Amino acid sequence: MATAANTTTPLSQSEPASLGRRIVALIPGLLLLAAVGYAGKFIEQSIAAYTKSHHITFPNIEYVLWAIVIGLLISNTVGVPRVFQPGVATYEFWLKAGIVLLGSRFLLGDVLHLGGISLLLVAVALTLSLTFMHILGRTFKLKPKLTSLLAVGSSICGVSAIIAAKPAIDADDEDASYAIAAILALGAISLFTFPLIGHSLHLSDKAYGLWAGLAVDNTAEATAAGALYSDAAGKVAVLAKTSRNALIGFIVLGYAIYWASRGQAQAVTNKAEFLWRKFPKFVLGFLLISLLATLSFFSKPQLASIANLSRWAFLLTFAGVGLRTSFRELGKQGWRPFAVGAIGEVFIALVTLGLVYGADRFLHL
Amino acid sequence: MPEPTAPRRGLSLDVYAVALALLLALLVRLNLIPSIKW
Repeated sequence: MATAANTTTPLSQSEPASLGRRIVALIPGLLLLAAVGYAGKFIEQSIAAYTKSHHITFPNIEYVLWAIVIGLLISNTVGVPRVFQPGVATYEFWLKAGIVLLGSRFLLGDVLHLGGISLLLVAVALTLSLTFMHILGRTFKLKPKLTSLLAVGSSICGVSAIIAAKPAIDADDEDASYAIAAILALGAISLFTFPLIGHSLHLSDKAYGLWAGLAVDNTAEATAAGALYSDAAGKVAVLAKTSRNALIGFIVLGYAIYWASRGQAQAVTNKAEFLWRKFPKFVLGFLLISLLATLSFFSKPQLASIANLSRWAFLLTFAGVGLRTSFRELGKQGWRPFAVGAIGEVFIALVTLGLVYGADRFLHL
Repeated sequence: MPEPTAPRRGLSLDVYAVALALLLALLVRLNLIPSIKW
Protein backbone atom coordinates (compact mmCIF):
# COMPACT_ATOMS: atom_id res chain seq x y z
CA MET A 1 0.00 0.00 0.00
CA ALA A 2 2.94 2.28 0.42
CA THR A 3 3.04 3.69 -3.04
CA ALA A 4 2.53 7.10 -4.50
CA ALA A 5 -0.82 5.92 -5.79
CA ASN A 6 -2.14 5.83 -2.27
CA THR A 7 -1.53 9.49 -1.74
CA THR A 8 -3.77 10.61 -4.57
CA THR A 9 -7.49 10.61 -4.38
CA PRO A 10 -10.04 9.87 -7.02
CA LEU A 11 -11.01 13.55 -6.89
CA SER A 12 -7.83 14.51 -8.68
CA GLN A 13 -7.44 11.49 -10.93
CA SER A 14 -7.74 12.01 -14.62
CA GLU A 15 -9.11 8.59 -15.58
CA PRO A 16 -11.89 8.68 -18.11
CA ALA A 17 -14.61 7.70 -15.62
CA SER A 18 -17.76 9.74 -15.19
CA LEU A 19 -17.90 12.02 -12.16
CA GLY A 20 -20.99 10.21 -10.86
CA ARG A 21 -19.29 6.81 -11.04
CA ARG A 22 -16.18 8.15 -9.31
CA ILE A 23 -18.26 9.60 -6.48
CA VAL A 24 -20.20 6.33 -6.07
CA ALA A 25 -16.86 4.46 -5.92
CA LEU A 26 -15.89 6.56 -2.90
CA ILE A 27 -18.91 5.62 -0.80
CA PRO A 28 -17.83 2.18 0.59
CA GLY A 29 -14.44 3.50 1.71
CA LEU A 30 -15.97 6.65 3.20
CA LEU A 31 -18.39 4.50 5.18
CA LEU A 32 -15.45 2.37 6.38
CA LEU A 33 -13.53 5.51 7.47
CA ALA A 34 -16.60 6.76 9.34
CA ALA A 35 -17.22 3.34 10.96
CA VAL A 36 -13.60 2.92 12.12
CA GLY A 37 -13.35 6.53 13.34
CA TYR A 38 -16.68 6.36 15.15
CA ALA A 39 -15.77 3.01 16.69
CA GLY A 40 -12.67 4.72 18.14
CA LYS A 41 -14.81 7.51 19.58
CA PHE A 42 -17.31 4.98 20.95
CA ILE A 43 -14.56 2.96 22.68
CA GLU A 44 -13.09 6.12 24.26
CA GLN A 45 -16.48 7.22 25.56
CA SER A 46 -17.43 3.72 26.76
CA ILE A 47 -14.19 3.30 28.73
CA ALA A 48 -14.54 6.79 30.22
CA ALA A 49 -18.18 6.11 31.24
CA TYR A 50 -17.34 2.66 32.69
CA THR A 51 -14.31 3.82 34.70
CA LYS A 52 -16.24 6.84 35.99
CA SER A 53 -19.28 4.83 37.08
CA HIS A 54 -17.07 2.22 38.80
CA HIS A 55 -14.76 4.85 40.35
CA ILE A 56 -11.74 3.39 38.60
CA THR A 57 -8.75 5.66 37.93
CA PHE A 58 -7.74 5.01 34.35
CA PRO A 59 -5.91 7.32 31.91
CA ASN A 60 -8.10 8.63 29.13
CA ILE A 61 -7.06 7.00 25.86
CA GLU A 62 -8.07 9.33 23.03
CA TYR A 63 -10.27 8.08 20.21
CA VAL A 64 -7.35 8.92 17.92
CA LEU A 65 -5.37 5.94 19.19
CA TRP A 66 -8.35 3.57 19.00
CA ALA A 67 -9.20 4.64 15.46
CA ILE A 68 -5.60 4.15 14.32
CA VAL A 69 -5.27 0.79 16.07
CA ILE A 70 -8.56 -0.52 14.59
CA GLY A 71 -7.42 0.66 11.16
CA LEU A 72 -4.03 -1.02 11.61
CA LEU A 73 -5.70 -4.27 12.71
CA ILE A 74 -7.89 -4.31 9.60
CA SER A 75 -5.16 -3.41 7.13
CA ASN A 76 -2.65 -5.87 8.62
CA THR A 77 -4.99 -8.86 9.04
CA VAL A 78 -7.81 -9.12 6.52
CA GLY A 79 -6.52 -6.16 4.47
CA VAL A 80 -8.57 -3.39 2.90
CA PRO A 81 -10.60 -4.87 0.00
CA ARG A 82 -10.30 -3.11 -3.33
CA VAL A 83 -13.87 -1.78 -3.20
CA PHE A 84 -13.01 0.30 -0.12
CA GLN A 85 -9.68 1.69 -1.34
CA PRO A 86 -10.84 4.77 -3.33
CA GLY A 87 -12.86 6.03 -0.34
CA VAL A 88 -10.12 5.25 2.18
CA ALA A 89 -7.67 7.23 0.00
CA THR A 90 -9.73 10.38 0.66
CA TYR A 91 -8.36 10.56 4.22
CA GLU A 92 -5.88 13.23 3.09
CA PHE A 93 -8.71 15.29 1.64
CA TRP A 94 -10.46 15.26 5.04
CA LEU A 95 -7.18 16.14 6.73
CA LYS A 96 -6.81 19.28 4.63
CA ALA A 97 -10.46 20.30 5.03
CA GLY A 98 -10.07 19.72 8.80
CA ILE A 99 -6.96 21.91 8.96
CA VAL A 100 -8.73 24.76 7.15
CA LEU A 101 -11.68 24.52 9.58
CA LEU A 102 -9.26 24.36 12.54
CA GLY A 103 -8.21 27.90 11.60
CA SER A 104 -11.38 29.01 13.42
CA ARG A 105 -9.74 28.05 16.74
CA PHE A 106 -6.82 30.46 16.27
CA LEU A 107 -6.74 34.22 16.44
CA LEU A 108 -4.55 35.57 13.65
CA GLY A 109 -2.17 37.05 16.24
CA ASP A 110 -1.56 33.58 17.72
CA VAL A 111 -1.01 32.17 14.24
CA LEU A 112 1.59 34.84 13.48
CA HIS A 113 3.30 34.41 16.88
CA LEU A 114 3.45 30.60 16.97
CA GLY A 115 3.75 30.30 13.17
CA GLY A 116 6.66 32.77 13.20
CA ILE A 117 8.46 30.80 15.94
CA SER A 118 7.76 27.59 14.01
CA LEU A 119 9.21 29.04 10.80
CA LEU A 120 12.33 30.18 12.65
CA LEU A 121 12.82 26.74 14.20
CA VAL A 122 12.03 25.00 10.91
CA ALA A 123 14.72 27.03 9.14
CA VAL A 124 17.37 25.97 11.69
CA ALA A 125 16.21 22.34 11.83
CA LEU A 126 15.98 22.18 8.03
CA THR A 127 19.54 23.31 7.46
CA LEU A 128 20.88 20.79 9.96
CA SER A 129 18.69 17.90 8.87
CA LEU A 130 19.24 18.30 5.10
CA THR A 131 23.01 18.33 5.67
CA PHE A 132 22.82 15.32 7.98
CA MET A 133 20.59 13.32 5.62
CA HIS A 134 23.00 13.84 2.72
CA ILE A 135 25.94 12.69 4.83
CA LEU A 136 23.92 9.62 5.87
CA GLY A 137 22.88 8.89 2.28
CA ARG A 138 26.52 8.91 1.19
CA THR A 139 27.54 6.72 4.15
CA PHE A 140 24.86 4.13 3.32
CA LYS A 141 25.61 4.41 -0.43
CA LEU A 142 22.05 5.33 -1.39
CA LYS A 143 21.38 6.74 -4.85
CA PRO A 144 21.77 10.56 -4.66
CA LYS A 145 18.19 11.25 -5.81
CA LEU A 146 16.77 8.77 -3.32
CA THR A 147 18.75 10.62 -0.63
CA SER A 148 17.31 13.93 -1.88
CA LEU A 149 13.77 12.51 -1.64
CA LEU A 150 14.38 11.12 1.85
CA ALA A 151 15.90 14.44 2.95
CA VAL A 152 12.91 16.38 1.60
CA GLY A 153 10.44 13.91 3.11
CA SER A 154 11.97 13.76 6.55
CA SER A 155 12.87 17.40 6.94
CA ILE A 156 9.94 19.20 5.37
CA CYS A 157 6.68 17.39 5.06
CA GLY A 158 6.59 13.72 4.36
CA VAL A 159 4.80 12.14 1.46
CA SER A 160 3.47 15.37 -0.07
CA ALA A 161 7.01 16.77 -0.26
CA ILE A 162 8.31 13.60 -1.91
CA ILE A 163 5.49 13.68 -4.46
CA ALA A 164 6.16 17.36 -5.13
CA ALA A 165 9.91 16.80 -5.47
CA LYS A 166 9.81 13.63 -7.61
CA PRO A 167 8.94 15.22 -10.98
CA ALA A 168 10.93 18.35 -10.20
CA ILE A 169 14.21 16.42 -9.80
CA ASP A 170 13.19 13.71 -12.29
CA ALA A 171 13.58 10.89 -9.76
CA ASP A 172 12.62 7.25 -10.46
CA ASP A 173 9.24 5.83 -9.38
CA GLU A 174 11.17 3.18 -7.45
CA ASP A 175 13.13 5.81 -5.48
CA ALA A 176 9.92 7.67 -4.68
CA SER A 177 8.28 4.43 -3.49
CA TYR A 178 11.25 3.61 -1.22
CA ALA A 179 11.30 7.12 0.22
CA ILE A 180 7.50 7.16 0.77
CA ALA A 181 7.56 3.71 2.39
CA ALA A 182 10.36 4.75 4.76
CA ILE A 183 8.56 7.98 5.70
CA LEU A 184 5.25 6.17 6.26
CA ALA A 185 6.86 3.47 8.42
CA LEU A 186 8.67 6.07 10.49
CA GLY A 187 5.50 8.12 10.81
CA ALA A 188 3.69 5.08 12.24
CA ILE A 189 6.48 4.60 14.79
CA SER A 190 6.42 8.33 15.72
CA LEU A 191 2.71 8.07 16.51
CA PHE A 192 3.40 5.76 19.41
CA THR A 193 6.80 7.05 20.58
CA PHE A 194 6.30 10.81 20.58
CA PRO A 195 3.46 10.97 23.16
CA LEU A 196 5.40 8.60 25.45
CA ILE A 197 8.55 10.74 25.24
CA GLY A 198 6.51 13.95 25.67
CA HIS A 199 4.87 12.63 28.83
CA SER A 200 8.13 11.32 30.26
CA LEU A 201 9.74 14.74 29.73
CA HIS A 202 6.63 16.50 31.16
CA LEU A 203 6.42 18.79 28.12
CA SER A 204 3.71 21.45 28.17
CA ASP A 205 0.94 21.16 25.57
CA LYS A 206 2.45 24.01 23.55
CA ALA A 207 6.01 22.69 23.69
CA TYR A 208 4.92 19.14 22.82
CA GLY A 209 2.61 20.33 20.01
CA LEU A 210 5.39 22.43 18.53
CA TRP A 211 7.81 19.50 18.74
CA ALA A 212 5.36 17.06 17.09
CA GLY A 213 4.59 19.61 14.35
CA LEU A 214 8.27 20.20 13.66
CA ALA A 215 9.55 16.63 13.90
CA VAL A 216 6.83 14.23 12.67
CA ASP A 217 6.94 14.06 8.89
CA ASN A 218 3.55 13.43 7.45
CA THR A 219 0.82 15.96 8.19
CA ALA A 220 -1.70 13.25 9.13
CA GLU A 221 0.74 11.60 11.57
CA ALA A 222 1.83 14.97 13.02
CA THR A 223 -1.83 15.87 13.61
CA ALA A 224 -2.50 12.48 15.21
CA ALA A 225 0.69 12.55 17.34
CA GLY A 226 -0.38 15.98 18.65
CA ALA A 227 -3.99 14.94 19.30
CA LEU A 228 -2.81 11.81 21.13
CA TYR A 229 -1.13 14.07 23.71
CA SER A 230 -4.00 16.51 24.23
CA ASP A 231 -6.50 18.61 22.31
CA ALA A 232 -4.42 21.77 22.89
CA ALA A 233 -1.22 20.02 21.78
CA GLY A 234 -3.02 18.79 18.64
CA LYS A 235 -3.95 22.37 17.76
CA VAL A 236 -0.37 23.60 18.11
CA ALA A 237 1.00 20.59 16.21
CA VAL A 238 -1.25 21.40 13.24
CA LEU A 239 -0.15 25.04 13.26
CA ALA A 240 3.56 24.15 13.42
CA LYS A 241 3.16 21.51 10.71
CA THR A 242 1.24 23.95 8.51
CA SER A 243 4.09 26.48 8.83
CA ARG A 244 6.50 23.73 7.82
CA ASN A 245 4.30 22.75 4.87
CA ALA A 246 4.33 26.35 3.64
CA LEU A 247 8.05 25.99 2.90
CA ILE A 248 7.65 22.98 0.63
CA GLY A 249 7.85 25.00 -2.61
CA PHE A 250 11.12 26.70 -1.68
CA ILE A 251 12.87 23.46 -0.75
CA VAL A 252 11.65 21.60 -3.83
CA LEU A 253 12.69 24.56 -6.00
CA GLY A 254 16.16 24.46 -4.41
CA TYR A 255 16.52 20.76 -5.25
CA ALA A 256 15.14 21.26 -8.77
CA ILE A 257 17.73 23.98 -9.43
CA TYR A 258 20.49 21.81 -7.95
CA TRP A 259 19.69 18.75 -10.09
CA ALA A 260 19.14 20.91 -13.19
CA SER A 261 22.59 22.47 -12.66
CA ARG A 262 24.02 18.93 -12.78
CA GLY A 263 22.13 18.25 -16.02
CA GLN A 264 19.95 15.58 -14.37
CA ALA A 265 16.62 17.44 -14.35
CA GLN A 266 14.91 20.01 -16.55
CA ALA A 267 15.62 23.66 -15.70
CA VAL A 268 12.80 25.57 -13.95
CA THR A 269 11.88 28.41 -16.28
CA ASN A 270 9.26 30.28 -14.24
CA LYS A 271 10.21 30.18 -10.54
CA ALA A 272 7.21 32.19 -9.27
CA GLU A 273 4.79 29.87 -11.11
CA PHE A 274 6.70 26.85 -9.77
CA LEU A 275 6.46 28.12 -6.18
CA TRP A 276 2.74 28.83 -6.49
CA ARG A 277 2.06 25.38 -7.97
CA LYS A 278 3.92 23.63 -5.15
CA PHE A 279 2.46 25.84 -2.41
CA PRO A 280 -0.09 23.94 -0.28
CA LYS A 281 -3.29 25.91 -0.82
CA PHE A 282 -4.91 24.69 2.39
CA VAL A 283 -2.48 26.95 4.27
CA LEU A 284 -4.28 29.93 2.69
CA GLY A 285 -7.67 28.49 3.66
CA PHE A 286 -6.46 28.04 7.23
CA LEU A 287 -5.27 31.68 7.36
CA LEU A 288 -8.54 32.94 5.84
CA ILE A 289 -10.73 31.14 8.41
CA SER A 290 -8.43 32.35 11.20
CA LEU A 291 -8.73 35.93 9.89
CA LEU A 292 -12.54 35.65 9.76
CA ALA A 293 -12.60 34.30 13.33
CA THR A 294 -10.35 37.17 14.46
CA LEU A 295 -12.69 39.71 12.83
CA SER A 296 -15.66 38.16 14.74
CA PHE A 297 -17.29 37.07 11.49
CA PHE A 298 -18.61 34.02 13.39
CA SER A 299 -20.54 33.98 16.68
CA LYS A 300 -19.28 31.83 19.57
CA PRO A 301 -21.73 28.95 18.91
CA GLN A 302 -20.83 29.09 15.21
CA LEU A 303 -17.11 28.89 16.07
CA ALA A 304 -17.88 25.83 18.22
CA SER A 305 -19.73 24.21 15.29
CA ILE A 306 -16.84 24.88 12.89
CA ALA A 307 -14.34 23.47 15.41
CA ASN A 308 -16.50 20.34 15.73
CA LEU A 309 -16.67 19.98 11.95
CA SER A 310 -12.87 20.02 12.02
CA ARG A 311 -12.88 17.24 14.64
CA TRP A 312 -15.18 15.09 12.49
CA ALA A 313 -12.90 15.61 9.49
CA PHE A 314 -9.89 14.56 11.59
CA LEU A 315 -11.79 11.49 12.80
CA LEU A 316 -11.97 10.29 9.18
CA THR A 317 -8.29 11.14 8.73
CA PHE A 318 -7.10 9.12 11.73
CA ALA A 319 -9.10 6.10 10.60
CA GLY A 320 -7.39 6.43 7.21
CA VAL A 321 -3.92 6.61 8.78
CA GLY A 322 -4.41 3.14 10.28
CA LEU A 323 -6.18 1.67 7.25
CA ARG A 324 -3.51 2.67 4.75
CA THR A 325 -0.53 1.39 6.82
CA SER A 326 0.44 -2.13 5.82
CA PHE A 327 3.54 -3.30 7.68
CA ARG A 328 4.06 -6.15 5.22
CA GLU A 329 4.20 -3.74 2.27
CA LEU A 330 6.45 -1.35 4.16
CA GLY A 331 8.81 -4.22 5.05
CA LYS A 332 9.27 -5.09 1.36
CA GLN A 333 11.02 -1.82 0.59
CA GLY A 334 14.50 -2.75 1.82
CA TRP A 335 16.34 -1.82 4.98
CA ARG A 336 18.77 0.86 3.77
CA PRO A 337 16.31 3.66 2.92
CA PHE A 338 14.54 2.82 6.18
CA ALA A 339 17.80 2.93 8.15
CA VAL A 340 18.79 6.29 6.65
CA GLY A 341 15.30 7.64 7.31
CA ALA A 342 15.25 6.27 10.88
CA ILE A 343 18.67 7.64 11.84
CA GLY A 344 17.73 10.96 10.22
CA GLU A 345 14.42 11.03 12.10
CA VAL A 346 16.09 10.44 15.46
CA PHE A 347 18.51 13.26 14.65
CA ILE A 348 15.68 15.62 13.61
CA ALA A 349 13.62 14.68 16.69
CA LEU A 350 16.55 15.49 18.99
CA VAL A 351 17.44 18.74 17.21
CA THR A 352 13.83 19.96 17.21
CA LEU A 353 13.38 18.93 20.86
CA GLY A 354 16.43 21.04 21.75
CA LEU A 355 15.07 23.94 19.68
CA VAL A 356 11.64 23.70 21.32
CA TYR A 357 13.21 23.69 24.79
CA GLY A 358 15.20 26.79 23.79
CA ALA A 359 12.13 28.51 22.30
CA ASP A 360 10.04 27.70 25.38
CA ARG A 361 12.68 29.29 27.57
CA PHE A 362 13.72 32.31 25.51
CA LEU A 363 10.78 33.09 23.19
CA HIS A 364 7.97 32.27 25.67
CA LEU A 365 5.69 30.01 23.63
CA MET B 1 12.99 13.99 -20.02
CA PRO B 2 9.58 15.23 -18.90
CA GLU B 3 9.01 18.94 -18.39
CA PRO B 4 8.96 19.31 -14.59
CA THR B 5 6.92 22.47 -14.60
CA ALA B 6 4.17 21.12 -16.85
CA PRO B 7 0.81 21.80 -15.20
CA ARG B 8 -1.19 18.78 -14.03
CA ARG B 9 -4.65 18.25 -15.38
CA GLY B 10 -7.48 19.27 -13.09
CA LEU B 11 -7.50 21.08 -9.78
CA SER B 12 -5.38 19.85 -6.91
CA LEU B 13 -6.80 18.08 -3.89
CA ASP B 14 -6.01 21.12 -1.75
CA VAL B 15 -8.34 23.35 -3.73
CA TYR B 16 -11.29 20.97 -3.33
CA ALA B 17 -10.58 20.61 0.40
CA VAL B 18 -10.37 24.39 0.89
CA ALA B 19 -13.57 24.90 -1.13
CA LEU B 20 -15.49 22.34 0.96
CA ALA B 21 -14.20 23.78 4.25
CA LEU B 22 -15.10 27.35 3.26
CA LEU B 23 -18.53 26.24 2.04
CA LEU B 24 -19.21 24.48 5.36
CA ALA B 25 -18.04 27.53 7.32
CA LEU B 26 -20.33 29.74 5.25
CA LEU B 27 -23.30 27.41 5.80
CA VAL B 28 -22.63 27.55 9.55
CA ARG B 29 -22.34 31.36 9.40
CA LEU B 30 -25.67 31.65 7.57
CA ASN B 31 -27.28 29.19 10.02
CA LEU B 32 -28.18 26.90 7.11
CA ILE B 33 -27.00 23.79 8.95
CA PRO B 34 -27.84 22.87 12.54
CA SER B 35 -25.15 23.27 15.19
CA ILE B 36 -22.55 20.50 14.97
CA LYS B 37 -21.98 18.44 18.10
CA TRP B 38 -18.96 16.32 18.97
